[in-house]
Amino acid sequence: MKDRFDVLLQVLAGFLILFMVVSLFYLYVAVGRTWDLVVEALFSERVVQALIVSVSSSTLVGLIAVAAVIPTAYVLTYKEFRFKGLLETLLIEFPQTFPPATVGLVYLLMLGPGSPINIAYTYPAVIVAKFYVSTPFAMSFTLRRFQEIHRSGLDTIARTLGSRTRHLLLWILLPLSVKDLVAGFSLTWARAMGEVAATLIFAGAIPGRTEIFPAVVYLTSRENPQVALAASVIAAFLSIGALLFFKWIARER
Amino acid sequence: MMTKLRIEEVTKRYGKVTALDRVSLDVRSGEFLVVMGPSGCGKTTLLLILLGVLKPDSGHLYLDGNLIDDLSVEDRNFGYVPQDFGLFPHMTAHDNIAFGLRVRNLPKDEVEHRVEELFSLVELQGIEQRKPAELSGGQRQRVSLARAMAVQPSLLLLDEPLSNVDEATKSEIRQKLKETVKRAGVTTVCVLHEPGDALVLGDRIAVMYAGKILQIGTVQNLLEEPESEIVTRLLASHLFRWGERASPES
Repeated sequence: MKDRFDVLLQVLAGFLILFMVVSLFYLYVAVGRTWDLVVEALFSERVVQALIVSVSSSTLVGLIAVAAVIPTAYVLTYKEFRFKGLLETLLIEFPQTFPPATVGLVYLLMLGPGSPINIAYTYPAVIVAKFYVSTPFAMSFTLRRFQEIHRSGLDTIARTLGSRTRHLLLWILLPLSVKDLVAGFSLTWARAMGEVAATLIFAGAIPGRTEIFPAVVYLTSRENPQVALAASVIAAFLSIGALLFFKWIARER
Repeated sequence: MMTKLRIEEVTKRYGKVTALDRVSLDVRSGEFLVVMGPSGCGKTTLLLILLGVLKPDSGHLYLDGNLIDDLSVEDRNFGYVPQDFGLFPHMTAHDNIAFGLRVRNLPKDEVEHRVEELFSLVELQGIEQRKPAELSGGQRQRVSLARAMAVQPSLLLLDEPLSNVDEATKSEIRQKLKETVKRAGVTTVCVLHEPGDALVLGDRIAVMYAGKILQIGTVQNLLEEPESEIVTRLLASHLFRWGERASPES
């Protein structure tokens, strides 16, 4: 006998899957008829420059994020202090829900014209804006893993064997967290690739310097939709390709 | 006999629950002491306090007569074999055993020499390059034991060492465990809930119940003169068998 509720759940799941997949595939449908125009736009200076800015800044952000979250995850796992829960929220959940446009504005006021350090509309501004928005991914993966290792008691055993913090980090915590660091890096990277609002407001969109991929899409979508489409196609390709690649690395380990 | 470890009036509370109630115990040099009791009796808390992971609310610990209350986990030099054996999953059996020696920065030759000796002590030659996932429960237990003994600990702490080994091979593993520890001559405190295991392993047994030590003595003492109703009850099935036998299982 067929289980009707099972069928119902499958149908409902189908709606969500359809919605997510169709949205992505429609991009290729939209490109369809004007493929040669898109190909031409692909090699235009503006798109190539935006590609370089986006990929380089996202990679840099991913690397800095991984390096920065390791000591932070250590402190959050091993030190007891007041308001630790609040601090975790501020480092992980809050940046993901705080409107990125507001983040850009905050940095523009804090590190923009009129402040002692002014990096507005520069490449470092791209890094800073993307970093705030995307680091929580690396943070949550690494913290969750460190806490898991702590609960397992492996760190206590290492300490009974004489481990100092250095051994604990280099011989136990990091080797056991490789997958999570790779996953954290990849999601941070992907989020940084997609981030636009904070970067636009704080770093602007100077072609070849601070103009990123999604900014090209946004700024050209009206007067030159072919360029916008070209940029979108590459962005989608890159993100899916990169995510699959990172997942593969994580599984191989 | 010399006292190796003195536990003096140790109390630990979790909120309103008293896990350890003024526990005092002397562990003699070279003996295998079993702390036996049902789950929740406080024996794990006692073990964590000995390790230095938990701080007692009051009471003191002395090792060879020296106060060690403020000594950190890494400075106590106590070997520890946890219930799940706690092998580092990313390291081979060899590297697990070498861990404590490498932390101490010993020369490579010496590390290799010591590790080799330990493999032969626990009779595990041939599995040096295997990862923990490729070992049986009994093998994991012995690797964990060898790793704890590698650093020549002043005290060996075993937490339910038989709960994760096959029932079919348990009595053999139990015998091996005792032999190995005795051969190494290390003073051992072993926490157990199963009276059958306690009677075989322990030179002396401390019976623990509801945060208190009810009685401490040799197998013979406990079986012939149980000092309380609870001790009698915990050992009931073994008392019956004891009556039929001339000498204790050893």
